Amino acid sequence: MKNIGEKIFKFIMKFLTLFSMLLLAFIVIFIFKESIVFFKEVPILKFISGKTWNPLGSPDDLSILPIILGTAYVSFVGIIIALPIGVGSAVVLSSYTGDKMKRFIRGIVDVLAGIPSVVYGFIGLLVLVKFFEVKFSFSSGESVLAGGIILSIMMLPYIISTCDESMEKVYKEYAQYSNALGVSKSYMIRKIVIPESRRSILASIVLALGRGMGETMAVMMVIGNAPIMPKLLKKCQTIPSLIALEMGMAEVGSLHYHSLFAAGFILMLILFIINIFLYFIKKRMDI
Amino acid sequence: MKRRISLFLCIVLVFAIAITGCGKKESTSPENDEEIVEGSKDFKAQMTFNGSSTLAPVISAIAADFIEEYTTWDKVDPNFPEENIAIYVSAGGSGAGVKSVLEGTSDFGMLAREIKDEEKEKIGDMKDYTLGIDALTISINPENPLYKIKDDLSTEEIKKIFSGEYKYWDEVDNGLEHKEIVVVIRDLGGGAHEVFQKSIMGDTEVREDAIQAPSMGALVTKVMENKDAIGYASFGMVNQNEGKLIPLKVDGVEPTKENIANRSYKISRPLIVVKKGELTPEQLAFVNVLTSEKGSEIIEKMGFVPVN
Repeated sequence: MKNIGEKIFKFIMKFLTLFSMLLLAFIVIFIFKESIVFFKEVPILKFISGKTWNPLGSPDDLSILPIILGTAYVSFVGIIIALPIGVGSAVVLSSYTGDKMKRFIRGIVDVLAGIPSVVYGFIGLLVLVKFFEVKFSFSSGESVLAGGIILSIMMLPYIISTCDESMEKVYKEYAQYSNALGVSKSYMIRKIVIPESRRSILASIVLALGRGMGETMAVMMVIGNAPIMPKLLKKCQTIPSLIALEMGMAEVGSLHYHSLFAAGFILMLILFIINIFLYFIKKRMDI
Repeated sequence: MKRRISLFLCIVLVFAIAITGCGKKESTSPENDEEIVEGSKDFKAQMTFNGSSTLAPVISAIAADFIEEYTTWDKVDPNFPEENIAIYVSAGGSGAGVKSVLEGTSDFGMLAREIKDEEKEKIGDMKDYTLGIDALTISINPENPLYKIKDDLSTEEIKKIFSGEYKYWDEVDNGLEHKEIVVVIRDLGGGAHEVFQKSIMGDTEVREDAIQAPSMGALVTKVMENKDAIGYASFGMVNQNEGKLIPLKVDGVEPTKENIANRSYKISRPLIVVKKGELTPEQLAFVNVLTSEKGSEIIEKMGFVPVN
């Protein structure tokens, strides 16, 4: 009797695991199937190297190089801003705070991760974009920089929690020795804690990059959505926001519709590569 | 061996789910719905609408109101059998609306543009009901001094502003400041932009670095927030935010309800429901509601100008 129960349990668990794996396979196959229609019309290389995006024009006008670059640009700006803040917070959390304080700050950081992205976008639109317009008298505040700043806030929790984990480990391991040697805390952090946790910092960058590239709503509201070559203070367009913006209106089955799937396919490929990269970093990180 | 069998069973089960999942799509198509209904004489308790995504929420709202009021058909008219009212609305673009009427996959088609002559020919015996008009106003921020100098832009001027030929406000009029014009539009593939493109731009393209707002609300917010912005806000949105943004005249015609309804205001499109062949009494009952005062009220509430 017990044996049968065991078997049923095993079966159900196996089934659920298989189901989630197949789910991924189905999504990939579906997106591939929808975008292959487009790639038959426009070769993939042309699609990712052309500079114009005009859904009303001929199929030749559908290409997404500026949009791919915009996606990457916004994420990189976000990382550049978030990284020093994130690593700094992680250092404080792992080395300078007591247990009680640590729990409190971590709680706050987790709340930061739980805020819906549309709220960030809304704040970005009404505060950040407006700020650029009023204080710096930009003609319009929508820019790569605005998107990057909003993204950096959203990336922070990921960077902090990834770095904090390994820094705490390193700190605990070496605290006694460095205290015994009488070196100052800041020296220890600079020479041991940060260098030792460089892999986890790299992992957090990759994780944040993946997060940033896939972010849709918040970014869409502050970048202006103009499919032109991205410049720091000018408008741009990212792949997720392109899809969100145009999918609702694209006629089902039209080339425009399939081109959006194709753009999604490209984004998925990029994120896939990033995730493989992350996997290898993590594999070497855990001893 | 047992392991293999269980694995095999897993795969079979998953595929079974997947296949039934795929199959469901077809069963919701209107043909099957009709089959169910055909059981009771010729009366159809269900009707389907397909087409423009602009008109779809309007029809949905009126239908919801209609169903809430009557619930069953016999309350609409004592001659009808006691069956629950069901009205299905699906959006897929104006083109899809015409296509579905032609192929008979839906009872009514919804269009947010004029019916083309060739479409009229193809459908043949066609009934069409214009419910309302969707108009776009060329709106600017109240702090922009343009409307004090002139509250009227010609088609040519609007074209130049939106195509990027005029980059600064002082090019539009000498009395204005040398400030960059911020053009706000909706996404290029969408219905609102289509109207604007057709009635104003023609073959000229909108400047590439125009801000594409994700919704009409976002477009209006942008114009309200930015002093140098200009955009095509929908008529309904302008009314909701009276005073916060200023609609300009186009070719001397002010975007008022009257001017829009008699089609003298240029940037507009009709919202039309089409039907192939004669209407059944129950369909007529609903169409009467669509064109009634109550229907018009809802149409107006959704931001369009009713014509009935």
